[in-house]
Amino acid sequence: MAKTTHFGYKEVDIEKKQGLVKGVFDSVAGKYDLMNDVMSMGTHRLWKNYTIASSNVKEGDHVLDIAGGTGDLAIKFRKKVGPKGKVILSDINDSMLFEGRKNLLNHGIIDVDFVQANAESLPFEDNTFDCVSIAFGLRNVTHKDLALKQMHRVLKKGGTLLILEFSKVENQMLEKIYDLYSFNLIPKFGEFFANDEDSYQYLAESIRRHPDQETLKNMVLDAGFEFCEYHNLTGGIVALHKAIKA
Amino acid sequence: MFRLTIEKSLNHFISANNTDLTHIDNKVVSFRVDEIDLTLFFLCLNSRIFVIDSPQHKKVDVSLITNNASFLAIFKGASLEELLENEDIEINGSVNTAQQLASLLSSSSIDIEELISQYTGDIVAHQLGQAFRQIKKATIKNDSSIISTLKDEITTALIAPSRSKFFKGRV
Repeated sequence: MAKTTHFGYKEVDIEKKQGLVKGVFDSVAGKYDLMNDVMSMGTHRLWKNYTIASSNVKEGDHVLDIAGGTGDLAIKFRKKVGPKGKVILSDINDSMLFEGRKNLLNHGIIDVDFVQANAESLPFEDNTFDCVSIAFGLRNVTHKDLALKQMHRVLKKGGTLLILEFSKVENQMLEKIYDLYSFNLIPKFGEFFANDEDSYQYLAESIRRHPDQETLKNMVLDAGFEFCEYHNLTGGIVALHKAIKA
Repeated sequence: MFRLTIEKSLNHFISANNTDLTHIDNKVVSFRVDEIDLTLFFLCLNSRIFVIDSPQHKKVDVSLITNNASFLAIFKGASLEELLENEDIEINGSVNTAQQLASLLSSSSIDIEELISQYTGDIVAHQLGQAFRQIKKATIKNDSSIISTLKDEITTALIAPSRSKFFKGRV
């Protein structure tokens, strides 16, 4: 019997998940930034700013942004590392990389490298980066444990891992409102703005299937990180996990 | 946010001044302030400082137990040896390592009064800050020991009713 995993609320063959996720992101790539602004009412920019502020990235650092999509984190990291540093934007999806490349060029940034890579098998040497980030990407990875081990491997000693991801809402009242919003309005926004209701239905479902704060923290520690703590943002709608390789 | 602000300020200072951290590399130094139930762990790795809430499995190399006043005094540049002599602080581990970190804290211009007031949510931190400024003036004028003056002023600040308590029920 074939092994299965979740794709939103559906159980699918484990080998098929990657292709299904690719389908979602191929479909939404062109409207990704617009939809982020619409769905989060702009709050995703604050979450990302907090992530950058927590990164401790400094001039000359090497940064890997996994599932970097349209490049909004990479743009901010590039400013922090300066000309002596290096930022690599990686994504498994070529449509997202194409959008990221376009976006960075529009910001006048030409020295960020683009690498199409699967987070479960990163094509970088051990102990390469001072910081590895993944924002709203880990949720879509099939084997999260493998991906976390890879992130640990490519980080230098003293390097920081930042995982920004949807998480478990702390307050019951907020959770009810959030459920109503994400299962009723978000797919409608998807239909209206991106002509794609199904992808945004998947988004809402995949958030509920993602490990909660404590579970993810333990997964990060199991991957070899010595320190991991998380900060809930907007009542736990999103959490930033920060881990250090010691 | 409290820890993040300290961490950011320290790393900004380290980066801007190209500070050499080899003497405290891979060390964990803890600060405990009993009066406000605050413990901070400072971990130095990869030429930067991480301010973490728990050392998890890593051994703490030096631990400092302070009171509000001595915690504030450290950020204002007080010598740990003087604080030790006056029994305002307890240090377990290398005083030299602790002093290296303390010097970093005082050099980084962190507005610790503001941070503590946000952390405790009351006015004690501001009273402490005010007391410290008065001490500075007094020590310049009288050339007396900063620590003994600090003790008197801090005691006054701590036993005086806070403004929030004073106004409770009167507004």
